[in-house]
Amino acid sequence: MITVRSDRNRLILVLALLVVLQFALRPRLGNPKVAPDFLMIALLVFSIRSSPGSAALAGFLIGIVGDSLTPARFGAGALAHTVVGYLAAWGRAVFFADNLLVNGGFFALGLWLRNLIMLLASGTSSDSLLVELGVWSPLQALTTAFCGAIVLIVFRNWLDIRLEE
Amino acid sequence: MAIGPDRTYSRRDTFLFITCAGLSVLALFAPSWGDRIGLTIRESILRPLVWMQERSEESKSSRSVLLRISAERDSAAYASQFLPALRAENQRLRELLSLGRRLTSPFVAAEVLHQSVPTDGRTLLLSVGSAAGIAQFDPVISPEGLIGVIRNVERNRSIAMTWAHPEFRASAFTANGSVFGIVARSTQVSGSEMLLQLRGVAYRDTIAPGTDIVTSGLGGVYPPGIPVGKVLGLAAEETGWERAYLVRPAANPERVTHVLILHAPGKVNEASAFSSDSTP
Repeated sequence: MITVRSDRNRLILVLALLVVLQFALRPRLGNPKVAPDFLMIALLVFSIRSSPGSAALAGFLIGIVGDSLTPARFGAGALAHTVVGYLAAWGRAVFFADNLLVNGGFFALGLWLRNLIMLLASGTSSDSLLVELGVWSPLQALTTAFCGAIVLIVFRNWLDIRLEE
Repeated sequence: MAIGPDRTYSRRDTFLFITCAGLSVLALFAPSWGDRIGLTIRESILRPLVWMQERSEESKSSRSVLLRISAERDSAAYASQFLPALRAENQRLRELLSLGRRLTSPFVAAEVLHQSVPTDGRTLLLSVGSAAGIAQFDPVISPEGLIGVIRNVERNRSIAMTWAHPEFRASAFTANGSVFGIVARSTQVSGSEMLLQLRGVAYRDTIAPGTDIVTSGLGGVYPPGIPVGKVLGLAAEETGWERAYLVRPAANPERVTHVLILHAPGKVNEASAFSSDSTP
């Protein structure tokens, strides 16, 4: 029981750290369209360790927070994060491997899918969609995957994640 | 690769997913609810986090300002040793760049707090609000030109709707005032750059590529003379009725870090404030 509680506290600490990084560090990391999305990393780290329902709920809450800060089309972020959270938890449970590269790909794919759903739900023209999904989203996915991999390496013991050497 | 689920899926998971997705879709179709929910969240749980982002933006700006000033100082020192005339020119250019001093409307400077989602740029979170006198429908500009208009105002923050938002419209005309139209975001892009469209141009009127487009002042929101962009070419035409022109925007809301918000801009023409340094 003590171990379970301790694990949960560690997870909460890591998620809190990622939230702080999103608001304190991310603005200093250059172009906001390319800078890593720490909230997305937090959602995917949570999804790895949670049931699909809880991950969907966490995604919904993170999406609502994002929509509050960028209310271009309120609800688009919530929908995108809900779907990504649910699919991440589901996918992780079914086939996900404990490999750093695959985990990095998982972060990158999650972010790209989030952007795809968000852009579609917020009514983006096909030309802009191509540019966003073909240029900016892959770049942001790469930086997010890189930072996500660092988080996994640094907190692998806390998060109880087995990574293949 | 680990095959097979180590968790069982329950109806609870499905129920939670459908509920969250359903609420999201509901929010998409009820924008007024969204605005209220967003305001409540920004004013409560997000307040310390946005404050943190503001401080971070500020410190970044201070650092970049320091670097720029150091570079300018070095350049000036170099110039003063060899070419005194360059120093005077540098001073003149700096004066030209100080848009704020030349604006006739009162204004407030604000920092842009960019977010990580791809729709950032359609709306911008700004670091000033009603405490600084900001009101809904105040125009937002940058030294390059028009950015947008204030959509929501809170005490210490505000949300601007930029020209990249699908609902944005502004009355505009050619710099010489001969052809009028309505400016809106174009569905076409140029490379990775968003474009504008000047719509509703009378069929009898034609605009040459390269013509500057500025706000007309009609509608009472934007003062006349703020640069909107430069005409690229014809976008569409309805025979005998109207033409639409593609416009390369003067200012890009995705890249802007600081903006000026005009108070009660009135009808004073601001074209002279942008005359030399910013019109593309």
